[in-house]
Amino acid sequence: MKKLLFSFLAISLSLTSIIASGSKEVESSKESDGPIKVSMYYSDNATLPFKSDWLSINSAAEDSNLDIEWEIIPIADYSTKVSLALNTGTNAPDVILYQTTKGENANLALNGALVPISDYSDWTPNFNKMVEKFNMSEEVDQLQLKDGKRYYMPSLTDVPFYDGGLILREDLLDEYGLDAPKTFDDLYNVLKVFKENNPDSYPLTILAGPRVLYRMTMPSFGISVGKNSSSGTNTLSWDYTNKNYFEGAISEGYKEYITYFHKLYEEGLLDPEMAEPIDGDRWSQKLATGKSMASYAYYDQIGGLEAASNIEGYKLQMYPSLEGPAGAHHQPKSKTGSGIMFPIKTAQRDDFEQIVRAVDNMFFSEENSKAFCLGEEGVTYTTNSDGSITFTEKIVNAKEGIYKYLQLEYGCGSDVTQMVWVNQREMTKYDENYSAINKVVEDMGDVIQYIPPTPNFDDMQSEEAGMLQTPLSDTFERWNDAFLTGAKDINADWDEYVSTMKKLGIEKFCDLYNENL
Amino acid sequence: MKKLKKANKHQYWQLYAMMVLPLLYFIIFKYVPMFGNILAFRRYRPGMGPFGTEWVGLRYFKLFFKDAAFWTAFKNTLILSLLNLIINFPIPIIFALFLNEVRNRYFKKFVQTISYMPRFISTVVVIAIVSELLSPSTGILNIIRGKMGLDAIYYMNEPDYFRTIYVLLDTWQYTGWTAIIYLASITSISPDMYEAATIDGANRIQQIFYVTIPTILPTIMVMLILNIGRLLSLGFEKILLLYTPTNSQVSDILDTLVYRTGLANQNYSYATAIGLFTGIIGIILVTSSNSLSKKLTGQSIY
Amino acid sequence: MKTYKTRSTVLFDIIVNLFMIFTIISCLVPFIYIFALSLSSPEAIINNEVFFLPKGLNFEAYKSIFTYPNFFNAYKNTLIYTILGTLISLFLIVLFAYPLSKTYLKGNKVFMKIVVFSMFFTGGLIPNYLLISYLHLTNTRWAMLIPFAINPFNLILMINFFKSISNEIEEAALIDGLNYFGILWKIILPLSQAGLATVGLYTAVFFWNDWFNGLIYLKSSQFPVMLFLRNIVNGTSMVGDAAGAVDKATIGISIKGAVIIVTTLPIIAIYPFLQKYFVKGVMIGSVKG
Repeated sequence: MKKLLFSFLAISLSLTSIIASGSKEVESSKESDGPIKVSMYYSDNATLPFKSDWLSINSAAEDSNLDIEWEIIPIADYSTKVSLALNTGTNAPDVILYQTTKGENANLALNGALVPISDYSDWTPNFNKMVEKFNMSEEVDQLQLKDGKRYYMPSLTDVPFYDGGLILREDLLDEYGLDAPKTFDDLYNVLKVFKENNPDSYPLTILAGPRVLYRMTMPSFGISVGKNSSSGTNTLSWDYTNKNYFEGAISEGYKEYITYFHKLYEEGLLDPEMAEPIDGDRWSQKLATGKSMASYAYYDQIGGLEAASNIEGYKLQMYPSLEGPAGAHHQPKSKTGSGIMFPIKTAQRDDFEQIVRAVDNMFFSEENSKAFCLGEEGVTYTTNSDGSITFTEKIVNAKEGIYKYLQLEYGCGSDVTQMVWVNQREMTKYDENYSAINKVVEDMGDVIQYIPPTPNFDDMQSEEAGMLQTPLSDTFERWNDAFLTGAKDINADWDEYVSTMKKLGIEKFCDLYNENL
Repeated sequence: MKKLKKANKHQYWQLYAMMVLPLLYFIIFKYVPMFGNILAFRRYRPGMGPFGTEWVGLRYFKLFFKDAAFWTAFKNTLILSLLNLIINFPIPIIFALFLNEVRNRYFKKFVQTISYMPRFISTVVVIAIVSELLSPSTGILNIIRGKMGLDAIYYMNEPDYFRTIYVLLDTWQYTGWTAIIYLASITSISPDMYEAATIDGANRIQQIFYVTIPTILPTIMVMLILNIGRLLSLGFEKILLLYTPTNSQVSDILDTLVYRTGLANQNYSYATAIGLFTGIIGIILVTSSNSLSKKLTGQSIY
Repeated sequence: MKTYKTRSTVLFDIIVNLFMIFTIISCLVPFIYIFALSLSSPEAIINNEVFFLPKGLNFEAYKSIFTYPNFFNAYKNTLIYTILGTLISLFLIVLFAYPLSKTYLKGNKVFMKIVVFSMFFTGGLIPNYLLISYLHLTNTRWAMLIPFAINPFNLILMINFFKSISNEIEEAALIDGLNYFGILWKIILPLSQAGLATVGLYTAVFFWNDWFNGLIYLKSSQFPVMLFLRNIVNGTSMVGDAAGAVDKATIGISIKGAVIIVTTLPIIAIYPFLQKYFVKGVMIGSVKG
């Protein structure tokens, strides 16, 4: 026992010295004339693990005279870390990436935890230029909070992509002599044929519970409700003609929608497994083994399945949005995305202006923003005489595909650091099939609608909205499940459902949103 | 004995001296942060100080007392915890007693090591495995049902099965882990006592009842009191993962309610109020079970 | 131990052993399954061909986690937190538990109430965070070690273990002229091996598995390996209600399996080593008898 204790003591002494040496390195950051030292929060996704030697971030940082101390935080816990830093004001970094001023951040901003970056627009010339170039000043102005100020620099997209949608087994369509579905009725017929030929299957399966299915299909019925609804309210939807909110969860559009999917469910065309803990793994298994032949998912996910499946002739294809009662629409997308914010503490630094200018240059300058998409000329690609680009041999032949390879090796195309997305430029990283589908969707017109505006609540109003939202959304989820599975009858029980939702204040909730737009 | 105690009273300062450091620890790291609980009575505004901006009295308590969802959640929490206590409190004891009866030393060691392994699998993985086993299309249980000509049951989405699944998962995850305490306690039983019992003609089952259980009873009682005190705290992450809209009528517990309310608008005050409420209930439970145990068995934790 | 071989004891033996075999199977199967997954090819997994034996045996998954930039550093951090954290914790717990096990000591009840009360009321996240910042512990490894040094539950266990040691030995020692520090060090601790092993194990497991405190108080270079595990296993499936990004990302099951194996095996492997401290306490017996 004594010997054991002694060796413990020895170990602990040596460990203590490690700790001591670890804490020393922080202090060596005294001022010098070199690059500006800033600390930055980065949201790390395990599928794309951050590497400090990524070409994209290093060349952009060097070009902007920045010496960045990265804080790499797992994506699942990113908001917790950011929230604590901003709520307490202690230990906040100089720059936070991948954030918006929705939800809690809006209150934090209004209460002075964030720099109102719109006040410093003189220092962000590159950002301003991009906004102008993409003709997005209206969208960017919508990000202002109640006080008329904007607290972050969003990422900018000129034309939103059609990155996911209906995915079907093309080889089966051919086998059964079916046309690609154009409407939801077509889809029903296709699934029906699939089921007839494979009675054991559930032709249409769902990814991550039904939420991907819901958010990608509801807009064609004129609604967007449930988890991940485009408005973030779970029960309200945006009326794109009248430009106001309405009670989507109790609307006729929803009734029609749930009637359709109940039909699929009842006839065994829709996978009943809706419990949410199951992630992509089971989904892949079902599709690869032919237990299911269709799904709503993302284009990125097709390739791996095709390569892995043992079924001969296995071919998946993504199709444009289907036509529903309200037209053919995809999940609404914003042209602005998560972006860069500065905690108020940063404004107290003497070199605040230089920091803002440097960050603006790093992420929004023409040259650097291109580098975040494509990498560096001469290293990852060469420009041809007609202005088009060719990626190097190594990249073109990468087995992960160009897009993924550029991400992993060079840090290009990461949602966190790439702030400028030019559709045409992005398409060079994908196969022709993907660009072709995107072209079709773009030509269809307003398939991808904008995300409804967020109302500007003050503290009290947002507390009230929150209190109304939770029970409404709980009740909706419960009824929705019951309608889908047939536990409740859509026609017979509809009135009871509507009156329950009204009792819970869905109309008041809606008014609260409309009054504060 | 009494005399001795008196004689050594002048040495007691040493015992108090030992406590200085740990007491400081308790004051600084456990009691100072408790001031944060005033948030239950004050409105918290993000970014405007940690202790809120103005007094709102019992506003947040009233809010949740008025809320039907709160009472459902409260009821669910209570039922699920009681069920869990009734089933999963005795099982580790029985397991430890049985394990102690395994005669082959190596087998015993092996079982002991294996049995505590489930404690280390992350909840997400546990749930993923379970939902695979119970899947209506590919799960083994439903395949067997299918062979018997029965309809598949979607266990994970049926309110009727939620409590069973939760409790059994806890049994599986924590039996071996909790049994360690009882095993360590059994260790302190002198072999002489078993020998004496054997001479008195007790068989092995009788030995369990007359030697082993009485000796580890203090440990059992302490664990029981602590468990009753923690009655309202359930495995939050596990429930969150098992939660579906359909089973929510039985699966929505206080923690998940706070989580959803909090997620919507980061309402720290509301969460603090509920935390305070469950804390008070916990204290009441532990105090009463402690004094009850003191009366009945003479065992108590203070 | 000698016992009469009656029919009932044989039956009892059978029941006991069957029970144990059932336990082994139910506890081991998931691990074998995960292990098999970690060694299988993604194609075999996706086609649902893996059950107990790896199919398409390969070590790619392990290779790929070892090439994750921060993996080894995080692993080193976790080892530091676990070893140092457990030592600090045991030190403080023993110092408190020993005097509290003396029920005759004045004020004992008050101290116990202080301990029990703290089990039910916590300050909440933000006050704790501010306290740690105020003490300048954030971004230092101490933030992982100090704030959670005493778990009241483990403390009460330890008190209970100390209580079960007979007072006679102690009194004899007092007469021999040892003071309380000497008794604790020379007599009580050697007799409390089972208790120390139990509480030590519980504490070590806590430090090994803790990721939340690491996340909020530390810099990313100081993160423990459990955050890494979490990011890979949960990051793509759980809670992430942020639309889009999370649903798109998929990590191979084999990699998840490999991460689980690599991060849980070491802590599981501690147990057999601690087990020797659970052998029958001969010393206690000798005094009592």
